[in-house]
Amino acid sequence: MRPHFFAPWFAVLLACSAAHAAAGELRLLTHASFAVPQPLLAQFEKEAGVTLRITKSGDAGEMLNKLILTRANPVADVVFGIDNVLAAKALAAQVLAPLEGTAPASAEALAGALPDTLAPVDYGYVTLNYDKAWFAKRKLALPQSLDDLAQPAYAKLTVVQNPATSSPGHAFLLATIGALGEEQAFAWWGRMRANGLKVVKGWSEAYYTEFSHNGGSRPLVVSYATSPAAELFYAKTKLAEPPTGSLTLRGAVFRQVEGAGLVAGGRERAAALRFVRFLQSAPVQQALQTEMWMYPATRGVARAEALRHAPEPSRSDTPPAQAIADKGADWVRRWTQVVLK
Amino acid sequence: MKLRARWLLGTVPLAFLLVLLVAPAARLAMEGGQLPWSTPWQDAYLRWRIEWSLAQALVTCVGTLLLGVPVAWVLARFEFAGRSWVLHALMLPFVVPNLVAAMGVLALLGPQGVVQALGGAALDSGPWLLLYGNLFFNLCLVVRACTEALGQVSASRIAAARTLGATPWRVFWRVEWPAMAPWLLSALCLVFLYCASGFGLALVLGGQEYATVEVEIYTLVAHELELAQAAALALWMLGLTAGLALGYTALARGLAAPQRADTVPRRRPQGVGQWAAVAVALLVLALVCAAPLVAIVAKTLHAGAAAWGVLWEAGTLQALWNSLRFTLMAVGLATLLGLSHALAARRSTLLRALAFLPLVLSPVAVAFGLLLLYPQWTASLALLVGAYALLAYPFVAQSLAAGLDAMPRHLGQVARSLGASPWRVFWRVTLPLLRPALRRGMAFAAATAVGEFAVTLFLSRPEWATLTTRVYEYLGRPGAANRDAALVLACLLMALALLAFAVIESTNDAMKESTRRA
Repeated sequence: MRPHFFAPWFAVLLACSAAHAAAGELRLLTHASFAVPQPLLAQFEKEAGVTLRITKSGDAGEMLNKLILTRANPVADVVFGIDNVLAAKALAAQVLAPLEGTAPASAEALAGALPDTLAPVDYGYVTLNYDKAWFAKRKLALPQSLDDLAQPAYAKLTVVQNPATSSPGHAFLLATIGALGEEQAFAWWGRMRANGLKVVKGWSEAYYTEFSHNGGSRPLVVSYATSPAAELFYAKTKLAEPPTGSLTLRGAVFRQVEGAGLVAGGRERAAALRFVRFLQSAPVQQALQTEMWMYPATRGVARAEALRHAPEPSRSDTPPAQAIADKGADWVRRWTQVVLK
Repeated sequence: MKLRARWLLGTVPLAFLLVLLVAPAARLAMEGGQLPWSTPWQDAYLRWRIEWSLAQALVTCVGTLLLGVPVAWVLARFEFAGRSWVLHALMLPFVVPNLVAAMGVLALLGPQGVVQALGGAALDSGPWLLLYGNLFFNLCLVVRACTEALGQVSASRIAAARTLGATPWRVFWRVEWPAMAPWLLSALCLVFLYCASGFGLALVLGGQEYATVEVEIYTLVAHELELAQAAALALWMLGLTAGLALGYTALARGLAAPQRADTVPRRRPQGVGQWAAVAVALLVLALVCAAPLVAIVAKTLHAGAAAWGVLWEAGTLQALWNSLRFTLMAVGLATLLGLSHALAARRSTLLRALAFLPLVLSPVAVAFGLLLLYPQWTASLALLVGAYALLAYPFVAQSLAAGLDAMPRHLGQVARSLGASPWRVFWRVTLPLLRPALRRGMAFAAATAVGEFAVTLFLSRPEWATLTTRVYEYLGRPGAANRDAALVLACLLMALALLAFAVIESTNDAMKESTRRA
């Protein structure tokens, strides 16, 4: 064996060492659903004089854990997508740095939803969605309460996401506890299990393989209050009304508030802060409504026309932030015990 | 090859494994602190997960064996129009994003599927759907390996056996089966490891009740940060499956026998019986492997012309370019690694078993470990391509190892005695003989790289989005237009992959043709 054989390896080594890395670069860590129009991002880069390096990292819970694991040597300067479920965990792990300067006013209802280190960017509601055609065809009345769902008439009709692997799934679990109390809620989950509840890993699996609207067998799925409006927006032919609807049953509505923050130990502090404010600015707030299908958090931003079909639920069953912080992980473990084991 | 040179060559893939796989996993385990070794066995739920993971992998192995070997025999012995395209298309299940494949399966077997419409029973979920998903995904591994092995069985041995009065059945058991066994074992070992650490399609189809251990590890690492428990679980699985991989390599080396260069020519089927055999083999492949893919294409065509507009979006073009260049880079790197590893591991069972490591070690643990160990490299192109290559190169190494075992040794010795240098022997004798195995390995490596194994777990940047990533982005939003866009992109991905397989394996037949004529 002559040295020739190693020649390709040197090429590989050279190629690897050539890659790297940059001053004037702002590193954003976010979840997979982050979507802001490219022209807006380009404009931000120009005005702030930095290059934006976006890293998408699974769903929000996974993203926060990556941030926590690398806190000694942060992989980002600014983070978007930490919500009111995860905020306490982020605070406890001290991965966020204080925000300076004055923030734009948020919608009144959002006061106190997030800690000071997170600037509210958008909010939405995790709710049950139903397939209108399915219910019309079977002439089955829509469920009026969580209890209905546990009745034989609604057996094997509901699909939820595993709270251990999905943020809407986790939010839905929290809503049931917020409204019914821990013991009652887990009793209900136990009855749901007996009534043929289906559990899948994430939102996409639930919506695109189990929901009857997309070829599955379950006409009730945990999704968002805005999903019917998105169904209309992305319909192939012009429809008069959405093919799906959102239910606001007591114990099944969770308000999720997403925030952006500075990463403790990150670089480019000024640009990072500027990016947080950029996310709260009117153009982004306007665009995110039909990009991420969330409501704008900044006060006074007009609602997109498309969201007219997504009325905001008048109330939610979100438990207090402190309770989520103290018991969130235990609840997920107990849920696994009750529903899966 | 001298011993020193071999070890020198081995250091390259071993260093790669150490840096990109072992060190990150060890780092993650260290972060977790004291490992709760006994927990996985004390907890009845986790024990059931481990047992179920191994059991469904075993059942899948038996299923692919029973279905795969007869199909492979037909494909290896008979020549018919479109045969090579069947072999290329067999690898498509590796390429299709899991969620899209699941949508295809449901369009057939689901509650609103074709079978239901024809009056059959719908498979909602459960172990049967999961096992079907496993077969859909893994049958190609066994069929491809066995087809290649059977194509290399010595024609004169078969002729001799037939002349001495052996029935075709007896020829199969006494001549063909022993020649095929090492390849078959290699493929079955891959199938088992894939299913045991399964994370994809089977999971979508089976539902959470039938989740494998890998899902538990994913939950523990990515969502609960219970690193110690995750590491203990991952090490248990590593121990159980590594035992298997070692056992396999020991067995494979014992079975390996150099083959002769006179291969059996394929002939056109004659008579009703042979045509029927071809028809049945194609029917099995159509039902198990092709049907869900056809359902996807049918759904896409049904979606109407408007859906195809997604093909001209700027994002799609960029994703297409990314898919192409990442695959090219990953396959290049995987080929170098696989070739180095296979050549170095020719006489070492342990070294050979190590090539399975990327399939055995929990990918979630590795992904998070990489983040911990090399934070400055996160979301760097080198790490991304390295990770792709890491998951792709076991296919090249395994395929080549089987090819090397079967290679007649005297050809190299003749070349040496005629004065060729070792390098020249490698270039002019070993490599040409290995070419079919190398091409098969590269095709599978390409399929792995285009597919989604790495995509969902590693950090990604929007400008590096591949077609697979785009499919998942579309399926992350509600709405018919999004669903259709995802289906169109999945079809594009399949077409592209088919083309890639054809290119990688094309000169294969042409070469054989020319050597035969010469």
